[in-house]
Amino acid sequence: MMLARVADSLYWIGRYIERAEHVSRLSAVMLNATLDHTQGAVQTGRIGLAALGEPDSGRANQTYEAAHDLALDRTDSGSVVVSLARARENARQVRDQISTETWERLNLLYLRTTGSAVERAFDDDPPGFLNGIIADLHLFKGAADTTLSHGEGWRFLLLGVHIERAQLIARLLEVCFDVGKTPAVTEPIALMSVLRMACALEPYLRVYTADINPRYILEFLMFDEDFPRSIRFCTARLQDLLSQLSREAGAGRGDALRLAGRLDARLKYADIEEVEATGAGSLLAAVAAECAAIHEAIYETFVAYPLELSLPA
Amino acid sequence: MSSNKVVAKDAILEDVLPLTQAAYLPGRAYDEMIAPDGAVRPHYELLQDRIASLGAEELGERQRTLERSFLLQGITFTVYGADSATERIIPTDLFPRIIPAEEWAKIEAGLTQRLMALNTFLADIYGEQKILMDGVVPRELVLGAPSYRRDMQHLYVPHGAYANVCGSDLIRGEDGEFVVLEDNLRVPSGVSYMLANRDAARRTFPGVFRQANVRTVERYPDLLLATLKSMADWRSDPQVVVLTPGVYNSAYYEHAYLARLMGAPLVEGRDLVMHDNRVFMRTTSGLRRVDVIYRRVDDDFIDPLTFRRDSSLGAAGLFNAYRAGNVVMCNAPGTGVADDKAVYAYVPDIIRYYLGEEPILRNVETFLCREPSQLSYVLANLENLVVKAVGASGGYGMLVGPHASQKEREAFADALKADPDNYIAQPVIQLSTAPCLVDGRIEPRHVDLRPFILSGEKVVVTPGALTRVALRRGSLVVNSSQGGGSKDTWVLTEETRP
Repeated sequence: MMLARVADSLYWIGRYIERAEHVSRLSAVMLNATLDHTQGAVQTGRIGLAALGEPDSGRANQTYEAAHDLALDRTDSGSVVVSLARARENARQVRDQISTETWERLNLLYLRTTGSAVERAFDDDPPGFLNGIIADLHLFKGAADTTLSHGEGWRFLLLGVHIERAQLIARLLEVCFDVGKTPAVTEPIALMSVLRMACALEPYLRVYTADINPRYILEFLMFDEDFPRSIRFCTARLQDLLSQLSREAGAGRGDALRLAGRLDARLKYADIEEVEATGAGSLLAAVAAECAAIHEAIYETFVAYPLELSLPA
Repeated sequence: MSSNKVVAKDAILEDVLPLTQAAYLPGRAYDEMIAPDGAVRPHYELLQDRIASLGAEELGERQRTLERSFLLQGITFTVYGADSATERIIPTDLFPRIIPAEEWAKIEAGLTQRLMALNTFLADIYGEQKILMDGVVPRELVLGAPSYRRDMQHLYVPHGAYANVCGSDLIRGEDGEFVVLEDNLRVPSGVSYMLANRDAARRTFPGVFRQANVRTVERYPDLLLATLKSMADWRSDPQVVVLTPGVYNSAYYEHAYLARLMGAPLVEGRDLVMHDNRVFMRTTSGLRRVDVIYRRVDDDFIDPLTFRRDSSLGAAGLFNAYRAGNVVMCNAPGTGVADDKAVYAYVPDIIRYYLGEEPILRNVETFLCREPSQLSYVLANLENLVVKAVGASGGYGMLVGPHASQKEREAFADALKADPDNYIAQPVIQLSTAPCLVDGRIEPRHVDLRPFILSGEKVVVTPGALTRVALRRGSLVVNSSQGGGSKDTWVLTEETRP
């Protein structure tokens, strides 16, 4: 049992830290790629920007400026600094519910990215700055994992992380492999960058060896059961979490669970041959739409439920 | 040997303190550390020895460590600018203020006596009003006070404990005696800073702390919880919640801190649902009954149906649930009438009336401007007096006569004459001073003392306090809204460890 508002805040902390990590990683990969003057580098910039919502950006050649704004632009609601500030604001609202260790990790990160020295820190070493944020977010997740009770609140936090991650990875793959809409990415350097953007290069290599192939990448990032950034992994977690949460909250609260189960089944029993034949676009779009629906259903089920249903007789 | 270290007053130099650019020179105020003859008071010797052995650099480093840790913990308030918000820590000083056991014993007895009398007073004026009939306190003073709540008349309050949490402000005058400057019976704050300061001081001066035999304050949260639970006398394991106005309130850190350490949910008005004169909170598994609300929202904002209509911080219908006896609010609404600045002048009489005892702690001499003779005295002596608006707090709406310009005094005099009922005046008191680290030097700064008293089934005085510091040289205003800071307060046990 926890306050509905608290559950909502924990869920949003999960979403915002996942978003901050993803944007940091995409920016860092873009910056790193542009150290080489290759076609692959330009493609990497285009993919990164498109995956973050700037499809026809002319900034694919200006990755430094783009990465700077993605990290530090306070007027951009998707920037790293805004996500961190929102995560921290939510954490402040539920400060009584999270451990000191977890809070201090997030607060430190917030102070570092909003302090007066932040511009200089970015200028000194942009990839280093971004990788530092990613490492700090891993520390936050580690502190949360080892100091929070793995009860209801923890499940709402993870719910936010995985729903956000499923959407972000789906969007990244859409940009690369929705063949009808975008030119297919075939350049090996660019394909490796895509794997890096999902933090998946090394795990991929262990499964498929250094055979960098769009079909395998799609298969790995959509359907792998063990890799934590594959969509299938996320949907399986969503289903687990929602089934536990629904049980704890009492009977008759199953809309979010039903949607999550359906999405998970769709990925679990998908056929890669078929997906390849029809194009990955429709399945990826369905993932995005279903995640949005699950998000709504979570809110309706646990946070903004109608009072008539729960008043004592 | 460090005892009996006597130094001529104008020659307190290197051997006493390490920072000599401005040798530590107390003014005419009572100094907590240095006696008038220049000797270090015995209970400060351990600390003074340690300060002397650390250099200016090391002390500065410890001060910075302290500030960093406050920032990291989020012990901050937010300053909102045009398009940005910055976090500031509440200024805090690394040197503890030390109070010997025998002085504390008197404070403790005095505060207990005072709160018992004030709670009895509240039960009386919201009941039979005997004290008004007997003419001890003027009827119109009480019933006309803005903080008097007629809705509280004849309501049952368990144990007669109207003010469950009280934070009284004590000051030490030039003669060294502690007197009560103000009682805070509404929603007193600062206790989290007492606890945070203690945590920091233990790390800043671990050796001194261990040797000095300091009484512990860390039990405050569980004592508070026990006090709150004792107010729901109809239920064995009541659900306690902390009600906060929200994250933008300047005391939000404290609300979250107390909720966390009590293990009680921190709720906002929007989390509460009223049904059938009962209070519920909206949880992930439906509505859950609430029994005790430790509310950190002012009376005016608790319930838009009963009090201020434009408030969105409380919950509509809360007061009806309270009146129906289905929920307890702590502190009870209407306690403010007992810490009203005009009622304050009558507290010694209130103590004598109900308890038949002489007050253990004195009041500061107070002139009530509503009395014509006292008003003319005040107007004639404005340059020597502090004048305060009865309804205001936090250092607002006051005139510090000696520090004001002729023009300011004249303007205030007009306000006084226009609405004398609204003002009281007190002589300017040189608050005692304590050593503080200011810009790399150790200097005396004026301090007050805010202990916290809990009252439910029984009265408990926490053996510690928030010492508030006026950080500007010579300033007597310690309120955090007016540039004040704080420091830890060590109450010593009888014996000092060898």
